[in-house]
Amino acid sequence: MSDFRVFIGGSAGSISPISAILSSLPADFNLIITVVIHSSADSKTSMTETLANNCILTVIEISDKEKPLPNTVYVAPSGYHLYAENNKLFSLSVDQKVHFSRPAIDVTFTSAAEIFGKHCIAILFSGANEDGSEGLLNVKLHGGLTIVQSPESSQVSIMPQSAIDNGAATKVLSPEEITDLLLKYNYGD
Amino acid sequence: MVINLVKELSILDEQQITEGLRTENIEVDLLISAIKSKLGYDLSGYARASIKRRFQQLVIDENVKYIADLIPKLLHSRQCQSNFINRLTINVSELFRHPISFLTLRETVLPYLASFPRRDIWIAGCATGEEAYSMAILLEEVGLLNNTQIHATDINTDVLKQAQTGILTKGLNKEDAARYQASGGISSLSHYFSTAYNKQKLSQHLLDHISFSHHNVLQDNVFCSAQLVMCRNVMIYFDVNTQNSALKLFHNSLVQNGYLVIGEKESLLNSPLNSILKTIDEPAKIYQRKSLNNV
Repeated sequence: MSDFRVFIGGSAGSISPISAILSSLPADFNLIITVVIHSSADSKTSMTETLANNCILTVIEISDKEKPLPNTVYVAPSGYHLYAENNKLFSLSVDQKVHFSRPAIDVTFTSAAEIFGKHCIAILFSGANEDGSEGLLNVKLHGGLTIVQSPESSQVSIMPQSAIDNGAATKVLSPEEITDLLLKYNYGD
Repeated sequence: MVINLVKELSILDEQQITEGLRTENIEVDLLISAIKSKLGYDLSGYARASIKRRFQQLVIDENVKYIADLIPKLLHSRQCQSNFINRLTINVSELFRHPISFLTLRETVLPYLASFPRRDIWIAGCATGEEAYSMAILLEEVGLLNNTQIHATDINTDVLKQAQTGILTKGLNKEDAARYQASGGISSLSHYFSTAYNKQKLSQHLLDHISFSHHNVLQDNVFCSAQLVMCRNVMIYFDVNTQNSALKLFHNSLVQNGYLVIGEKESLLNSPLNSILKTIDEPAKIYQRKSLNNV
């Protein structure tokens, strides 16, 4: 089952549920996780440090053409779009912003959809704009599994709601249910 | 693109999606081939995902339906040919980008380069000039601007014209000032610019030390022999093999003990040069040529 790739996107209000999920994953969680969160200019500590807190898995900020490894969480650096370049490498770019964002979730999800197809699991969390919903739909269309944080469990529901309205969600789940589902995929049952 | 296709067909059929993606990839290859034949620029070594996204943006800008529709435009419209390559390049830059790198240059690298009677610095991929302007300011502050020539090159002729003027595309703001300070700046950034008609222009005596030229790091030879080569956020657009060719070019253009500076999120990890260049400062992304032999 470990050929599944997990892509996570979020914006305002997403760091806390994403952090909670990452910190409840065990050391033998070997699906490669990639996280794209819109960065706010006012945050003092880096996103990577925040997510690494309490997370037993290695958390790394991505460099261009980095080769992802299992048991690791990869975080898109602020100011760059992140692509799945092929099934082995990430790539970065500073192309124009999408939905006023760089990194944009649409960019990463769309490239992941095209590279990983039905082996792509994409999860969209809380946020205040519509980024992510087109990318999530692309994942779904390419046969991947798409999950949206339930609007009622989201601090800001615009982003999840927009994905649901767009028909991009296969499942709408709370953060706890998302953790359970990831564990299920990791252990292949 | 895929979404548009699906809405048209109004059937969510997986096979059609896969076929649509396959067709789009064929279109990308055909357009790359047409660009090479028509304009002489070889984009086959560019990172696939981002070049495809830029082609898709051109599809929107040109108001056509498919990537393949760009081929007749490229072949037959003179206007389209004239700026096609320029429109495909990314020209995001800012003054004192990645300040820690400029700070390390100031504290570690430039004191060594001061021992050369004169210096050549190559900024490969200078975009709208901010990197070259920052370098000129830094050299001025450490007293090395005289006897230093900064060679700024880019593939995009439009941005070169802009860079040559010394005029900033965006006015100085407090983020620029903060990066300048974090780079170890000893004065005030605005001190190096004059303002007229709401535009800021680099002081002429700094601009006089920068030459701007067209150069393509993928197809042209070593631009000059240099004590310092800076190429940041250019190689991210290349695939690994092409990155390695560019890195070889930079290595070979350096004098012995010359320095290479790359972008904050770039890395030598996929390159044979990783074992040949000496790491001066990894977070600052500064490396030094040790070997006399070209690679």
